[in-house]
Amino acid sequence: MVLIKRRSSGNRKIGKLVTSVSPYLYIIPSVLLVSIFLLYPVVFTIYISFTKWNIISAPAFVGLSQYVGLFRESALLNSFRNTLIWTGATLLIPIPLSLLLAVGMYRVAGREVFKVAFFLPRVMAPAAIAVIWKFIYSAPRGILNEVLGLFGAKFLMHSWLLEPPLNTFAMIGTATWASIGWMMVMFLIGLDTIPSEVLEAGKLDGASERQLLWHVKLPLLKPMTSVVVVMGVIASFTMFDLIWVMTGGGPFRSSETLAVTIYRGGFVLFKMGYSAAIAVVLSAIVLVFSMIYLRRIFRHSL
Amino acid sequence: MKPKIKTGRLLLLFLFAFLSLVWLIPLALTVSISMKETQEYMKSSLLAPPSNIRFLIPNATVAWNLSDLGSSFLNSLIYAPVSSSLAVILASLAAYSLTKLKVRGKICLFFLIYSGTVFPFQIYLIPLFVMYTRFNIYDTRLGMLLFYTAICIPFCLFVLHNYFTTIPDTIIEAATLDGASSLRLYFSIIFPMSIAPMLALMLLQFTWVWNDLLFGLILTKSVNTRPVMVSLMQLSGEAYSIGSIPQRLAAALIVSVPSFTLFFLLRRYFMTGFRMLSVGK
Repeated sequence: MVLIKRRSSGNRKIGKLVTSVSPYLYIIPSVLLVSIFLLYPVVFTIYISFTKWNIISAPAFVGLSQYVGLFRESALLNSFRNTLIWTGATLLIPIPLSLLLAVGMYRVAGREVFKVAFFLPRVMAPAAIAVIWKFIYSAPRGILNEVLGLFGAKFLMHSWLLEPPLNTFAMIGTATWASIGWMMVMFLIGLDTIPSEVLEAGKLDGASERQLLWHVKLPLLKPMTSVVVVMGVIASFTMFDLIWVMTGGGPFRSSETLAVTIYRGGFVLFKMGYSAAIAVVLSAIVLVFSMIYLRRIFRHSL
Repeated sequence: MKPKIKTGRLLLLFLFAFLSLVWLIPLALTVSISMKETQEYMKSSLLAPPSNIRFLIPNATVAWNLSDLGSSFLNSLIYAPVSSSLAVILASLAAYSLTKLKVRGKICLFFLIYSGTVFPFQIYLIPLFVMYTRFNIYDTRLGMLLFYTAICIPFCLFVLHNYFTTIPDTIIEAATLDGASSLRLYFSIIFPMSIAPMLALMLLQFTWVWNDLLFGLILTKSVNTRPVMVSLMQLSGEAYSIGSIPQRLAAALIVSVPSFTLFFLLRRYFMTGFRMLSVGK
């Protein structure tokens, strides 16, 4: 039985008002929270990037000279170089490796168990991973050095986190351990989307596994590959927790990346304008990649 | 014809079994060493197994009290579930409204909220710090909850918006004809249908908030408000080191317990949530 509520005409007007306003009520909390805590800050950071400010006194407007000054500072250039090393390494190491692993693992029995083993670091906090690997790399006594000693490779022992640029590469090793898992899972998802008919058609045509891989699977994985690349690159630019806990950007700022410099500039040195300007530069770079990601997504659904 | 139990396949199986074990070594060693008494740790090889796993308890207990790890653990235990559930609910209401109700400027509003995912976190740091100090919510639990909720909303909105567009409008129309108000519609139809994606999103965001270090550093300073990763950092970060190595490793394990627990209990939802990150289909 369907009951239709009868409203008296006075209530009908209020009813109509409620019906037309309430949709907005559902959105307002989200819009408010996001505007205040996420959107307004962007504008504020851009504004501060044109000033010199130490929080205590009023901001002093300096305009573009702040940005020009950035390019002159050698520590910042080193930081930028480290950031590029991180990004380059992400592109060259975990991404291809995880792709390889995913392809190899796709038909293996017990795949789910192996997936968990590789994926586990993704669930952990970067800070916790950093604590663990800090210990692995610790010198003179640490897991890595001890293993090297066991294999009689004492000459390979190092102060992994104290010698630049070794410290950056050591941390990249940690990040690789942490990221191969989720990248591999992404590629597995991508492989799932390949219709089996395509693969069967290829096999019927007499293609070998390697030919199938090169000519069918890899091209069809391009969309997922670009997703992984964008996510990996953005992650490499914004990575803070791991580096801050493992080396603090040191020793002597040798392993800093832009993300670390931004934090240090603003919250250790209280050079707000400086920090904001770097943040704007970083955001501009990241935005380029975000846009690639966005274009892919919204090309399909809008 | 002999069935092709391909030796190739078997080799791959062993290869991946081996690789998985290798991958778990850092964690295995962490567990092993956190079970060692300090003396034993100092004297025996790092790679040797612990003599008595019960030492994990005193190590963990000390770690819990070191650098107020325990208090901050409880703080994060408030932040993560509250902000992630609140964000998912608010985002679902907004997504519902944007997809099923009459709203002017839907696309603008959607992108307004969605743009919260586009910027790197670094751009939020200074303004948030300034805003929080100016409005006296710096170093408050409310402040942390507000921020964590806000930052979780955009992605949740994106996913749920996508999901709701797959709910046929005919159901909505039928219910409206039966006299249901928009709120009733939400609770009786939309909400029950979206439990799975909402749970997956909640897990994803819970993990993000739980694992956060950067914003905990920026927006808190005292024990009552500090999230757990900040305390962990103070235990073992650069320029700090408190406690012995087994205790610090025990701390790293303690801190990972909630994420691991949720992961192992709700793995399917976790993977669904993770899958949402790769949307394009």
